[in-house]
Amino acid sequence: MLEDSTQNELMVLLSSVARQDRQAFQRLYEQVSGRMFGLCKRLAGQQELAEEALQDAFIRIWHHASEYHSDRGTPMSWMMTIARYRTLDLIRARKVRQTAGDDALNSVEDERSGPLEASLQRDGSAALTGCLDELSPGQRDSILLSYYRGFTHDELSTALSTPVGTVKSWIRRGLQVLKRCLEK
Amino acid sequence: MRKTPERIEGLAAEYVLGSLQGSARKRFERWMMDSYRVRQEVWFWEEKLSGLAEVVPAHEPPKRIWAAIEQHLWPEKIATKAASGFSWLWPSWGLMATAAAIFMAVMLVQQPEQERYPLLSGAIVQENIKGPLWLLSEAGENGETNRLRLRPVAAEAAQPDRDYELWVVPEEGQPLSLGVIPVGDDVLQIELNESVRAALEKSRTLAISLEPKGGSTTGAPTGPILHVTKLYEL
Repeated sequence: MLEDSTQNELMVLLSSVARQDRQAFQRLYEQVSGRMFGLCKRLAGQQELAEEALQDAFIRIWHHASEYHSDRGTPMSWMMTIARYRTLDLIRARKVRQTAGDDALNSVEDERSGPLEASLQRDGSAALTGCLDELSPGQRDSILLSYYRGFTHDELSTALSTPVGTVKSWIRRGLQVLKRCLEK
Repeated sequence: MRKTPERIEGLAAEYVLGSLQGSARKRFERWMMDSYRVRQEVWFWEEKLSGLAEVVPAHEPPKRIWAAIEQHLWPEKIATKAASGFSWLWPSWGLMATAAAIFMAVMLVQQPEQERYPLLSGAIVQENIKGPLWLLSEAGENGETNRLRLRPVAAEAAQPDRDYELWVVPEEGQPLSLGVIPVGDDVLQIELNESVRAALEKSRTLAISLEPKGGSTTGAPTGPILHVTKLYEL
């Protein structure tokens, strides 16, 4: 997670952007585009789509900066969310399939490590204050693959060699457990 | 479908995760528009799950993305900058331009005739290519300068599905298209209407962009600006 001082700086930049300050917008881009692009690339799994998503996300940030408020999370989480939704929209619109041969799935068979890199899983778990650890492996994997790879129910079913109905229930139940834990 | 708290909770989480799709997703977006309670639930998940996003390693995006954002949001800025100097090409447009499209304007010697306006002329050159790509000069009849002559010299054809398009870059506002320009042996005579002539007279700046076959369909340059040149009075 970003430090408070960085979040404060982003807050100042974002409020300047809301007043149509172009220089602030460029500084904001310089500060956060790397993180946003990392997420877009992870999700899209391809450069071209990630670039388009990042570009669209920033155009959206320029036009909608005034709609940001603290109920929507930190400035960084708000911007990351915009980038993520835009990437998901493009993936679905272009019907980009997440292929089963993807590197991220190479370790699916390995029960211990799960379908994502261990580092991401560890850091993600820390980001959710350990709440991921309360999930079953199936719940955790289907939620993380949805989040990081944008997998649909059908794609999850293929990737995890599990019927769609089971995958749906993993996600639904897993999110309930997560919410109870995150609210503590 | 009734908006019970349990249902809102479940759907909001799946909406943010992305697993809620198609018509169900659209229906839920209408719920969000209707209800603050629903939006709040979505914001809860957006904030919590963004913790997952923030641990993804950063990856520096290519410079062309910022250039494309600027071009989308402020096309007029690009044009104004062009008229006041060429600094805008680097690092914005310049990075989109094809490799080593380094240019400069050169003066041509031409005997002025008796004209109502001073005659302008110039050349588009590229480093490492002998001779100019195109030569440009104004022409007219009966003391009226109302045409621009463009003669290809060393210019080579664009990619098969692309054309070069010539623009007047005014001091303010959007570039004005002068149409697709040829390579080869044909001299192109471009009729200038009064407003285009006036804009050119003021800014004396022309640009060439790479466009889809047949030229830009939007009325503004859509591809990289390959060359910008200033015309000179002789």
